Amino acid sequence: MAPGLDGLKHIVVLMMENRSFDHMLGALKAVNPAIDGITPNLSNPDTNGNPVQVQALAQFQGQLDPDPDHHFPAVDLQIFGGNTAAGRQPTMDGFVKSYFNQQQDVGHSQKIMYYFTPDKLPVLTTLATEFAVFNGWFASIPGPTICNRAFAHYGTSFGQVSMDIFYVKEPYKSIYERLIGANPAHTAKLYYYDTTSSTMEVVNLLQNEPKLFGTYEQFLSDCASGNLPEYSFVEPNYTDHDGDNGAEIANDQHPDHNIQAGELFIASVYNAIKQNAALWQSTALLVVYDEHGGIYDHVPPPNCSPNAPDGHTASGNDTGTGMPFGFDRLGVRVPAILISPWVPKGTVVDGRVFEHASIPATVTKFFLGNYPQRTAREAAADTFLDLLSLNVMRQDCPDFST
Amino acid sequence: MTTIKVPRPPESAMDRDRPVNGLLKAQILHLHEAERRLPLRHHTDIYINAIKTEGEAAEYIRRVTEAIHDAHAAAAAKRVKPKRRRTIEIAAVADDNPPPKRGKRRKT
Repeated sequence: MAPGLDGLKHIVVLMMENRSFDHMLGALKAVNPAIDGITPNLSNPDTNGNPVQVQALAQFQGQLDPDPDHHFPAVDLQIFGGNTAAGRQPTMDGFVKSYFNQQQDVGHSQKIMYYFTPDKLPVLTTLATEFAVFNGWFASIPGPTICNRAFAHYGTSFGQVSMDIFYVKEPYKSIYERLIGANPAHTAKLYYYDTTSSTMEVVNLLQNEPKLFGTYEQFLSDCASGNLPEYSFVEPNYTDHDGDNGAEIANDQHPDHNIQAGELFIASVYNAIKQNAALWQSTALLVVYDEHGGIYDHVPPPNCSPNAPDGHTASGNDTGTGMPFGFDRLGVRVPAILISPWVPKGTVVDGRVFEHASIPATVTKFFLGNYPQRTAREAAADTFLDLLSLNVMRQDCPDFST
Repeated sequence: MTTIKVPRPPESAMDRDRPVNGLLKAQILHLHEAERRLPLRHHTDIYINAIKTEGEAAEYIRRVTEAIHDAHAAAAAKRVKPKRRRTIEIAAVADDNPPPKRGKRRKT
């Protein structure tokens, strides 16, 4: 076994909000052609039929207002361009049309094609070029936040494609319950930013097992003291609010929250781990986004394997499109970066497909090994710890000054 | 080892009066579902349909999240406290309060 994997004790996942791969990291293709990002010819037709090119004009805040629609029907339009025929293939040319539907403003709708230059995102782009960036990490569902986050917690959304309340059905347990209920028991925690931001996993986990949760302040303390659990899931701050230490700016990067605030938060999580040398060498940190937020990406989401089904379906009523959904296609591509001093610098993970079920799949495989009580889809999901492949730990990893 | 300076957002990035986005609206509904299952003493007096801004949403989210924690803590505290008196204590009380003599009935 590679020494990084042999000495691995902690896996940390930070899941941010609502930005696509091309929007945040697509410009890196100019830096490294192996990154499947932006090329100048990429475009979408507007509602007049005119092509709207991608442009490096994304701003930190105040641009994507209203919040681009990312519910199932809108994402269906974004992926298939309005084609509802049987056997249709994704064309990724419905993003401008979809954003136009919200304000009927042709000029404004074109902003959905804007992306960031690397200099505007020093944290995310440094991490992407220093560690392992995934060309093929997709949202689990072509839909919104809560059902996508469910895949990260349970390996399934139990048939949900919306933001509606749903209750977990046996026999599938959350990754936290699997770890804590194992024999011997493992340790796991969800860290929300504070009680004023709380968690998006309310009715199943917070309501029933609040002791699973800690605050971000506790995460920082646990990192410093060496008491981090074996598995940690970190949620950003979802609201602008007044906290115990003064004003807290939302740092989830969900439109229209400030992108720079999210950069600071990602840097803070990274620094907390890196500043404890013992923790740094025994931790793998995954920074990933839950879904694309309705923002343009050029890569068609692949089909899921028919041999490894999720086992659920959503009716045409539930999808809002009139067409049922068999959980047989992934959502739009999102930024995902795996960080560890055991990952070779400049790794680009290409030719492999990952989605949020890869998270419980990876954590379960590492800590529990064989575990049958989960969907076939999760059991078959690709895992990512093989990327910790170096024989000698790197000493050249960057620091962030916040 | 390179040190990257990370710029801070401007103070104007903060807006407690920003209209609630779809994600927060959903979170509020989920928390309201949890709130209605709590004992009444843990309920807030906030009418969720009147929540319009992030600042208002933040206050509701905080109160219900803390109420859930408080309710579980209260239940845990009750589990620790013994429910029954011990046999010796019961016997001691019996000596202090002897049963009534035969033939006399307790008034109902």
